[in-house]
Amino acid sequence: MNAPDRYERFVVPEGTKKVSYERDTKIVNAGSFTIEREDHTIGNILRMQLHRDPNVLFAGYKLPHPLQYKILVRIHTTNQSSPSQAYNQAITDLDKELEHLKKIFEEEKSRFEVKPRDY
Amino acid sequence: MEGVSYQRLPKIMIREMKDDYLKFNLTDTDASMANALRRVMIAEVPTIAIDLVEIEVNSSVLNDEFISHRLGLIPLTSDLAMGMRFSRDCDSCDGDGQCEFCSVEFHLNVRCDSDQTLDVTSADLRSTDPNVVPVDVAARALSSDPSSFDSDQRGIIIVKLRRGQELRLRAIARKGIGKDHAKWSPAATVTFMYEPDIQIKEDLMETLTLEEKRNWVESSPTKVFDIDPITQQVMVVDSEAYTYDEEVIKKAEAMGKPGLVEIYAKEDSFIFTVESTGAIKASQLVINAIDVLRQKLDAVRMQDAEADFKEFTDHMQGGG
Repeated sequence: MNAPDRYERFVVPEGTKKVSYERDTKIVNAGSFTIEREDHTIGNILRMQLHRDPNVLFAGYKLPHPLQYKILVRIHTTNQSSPSQAYNQAITDLDKELEHLKKIFEEEKSRFEVKPRDY
Repeated sequence: MEGVSYQRLPKIMIREMKDDYLKFNLTDTDASMANALRRVMIAEVPTIAIDLVEIEVNSSVLNDEFISHRLGLIPLTSDLAMGMRFSRDCDSCDGDGQCEFCSVEFHLNVRCDSDQTLDVTSADLRSTDPNVVPVDVAARALSSDPSSFDSDQRGIIIVKLRRGQELRLRAIARKGIGKDHAKWSPAATVTFMYEPDIQIKEDLMETLTLEEKRNWVESSPTKVFDIDPITQQVMVVDSEAYTYDEEVIKKAEAMGKPGLVEIYAKEDSFIFTVESTGAIKASQLVINAIDVLRQKLDAVRMQDAEADFKEFTDHMQGGG
């Protein structure tokens, strides 16, 4: 009856930005990104990729409420980097990893079609 | 401002591949990537399913919404789905979602005129696009030996009709994702597990009698270990059958032999099983999931100029 529409989970409302950044008021090189209409799928891979960056002092994400369809990603870096730089680098690296994954999956698939490995 | 790359280079090894089943090993990455792929396969890879039903005549025993729901759950061949538009962002039709770019029309017209009960099945659905048909109909058309489908397999039953009952309707199938409604999910099941690394301490094991070895082997609820009939040594027959229940470790402790076996989960190695509903091939499901995840990542990129400018102006305002 008063349930939110199902599409609210993945359609970004008009006039809302997909990603917005807010700088921390007290700590330098820290801030949080608000990503609209995303969940653990994006939040967790981003967080884990950020942990691989030695310039990132802190990276975490949260889904504030199951009916608020957004995630918050908080990043604190050293002064060698910045939250925006670390964030974009993490996305670039993940994208390259997936590009590689697609390439090797397709290679393995055509190899398997010719000669399946015995198990 | 290009930073250093911390990219990984994962590996894949396919172990079993059928149209609707795939088993593969994914190594050199972490659980977040494996779980993201699993989540995307289940809820975000698009397929086509019946979404709008206009009933003209329904004198069957099932009510209109019951039949509409059953129609929605019939899996349709969705190889075109990745290239199709969502009806909500289709500009060729003004939002009513009834054009060639975002929808496929189906018709159903069945009437029972005999004393025998008539089954209305997915095979009675007439599609306006030969590429989008119920999956069981497509499987039958592709099969080289049609007789292999015996009379028991007549398609997915929608409703049964008695003499004089009739069902006539028009249905619109649209592109969608499992997050919206499970009828759009292309995955029956997608699972992954950590690959186990099992090491038996041979010298400690040899202090056991054959009877004790048998008892210990039997303590595992799944058949992971066995005894070599010739050498009477305990060996691992199927490490992947291990369910991380730790029964064998508890048994070893109870026998007064702690450390008899060491079992670790390799945290960068995953065994995936993917089962498809038939809407798309299991191997294509994995490829589509990778594409969808890349599109999602691209959408959450901070627009460079904007971010740098923000960083710069924030700096000028001299906070901190």
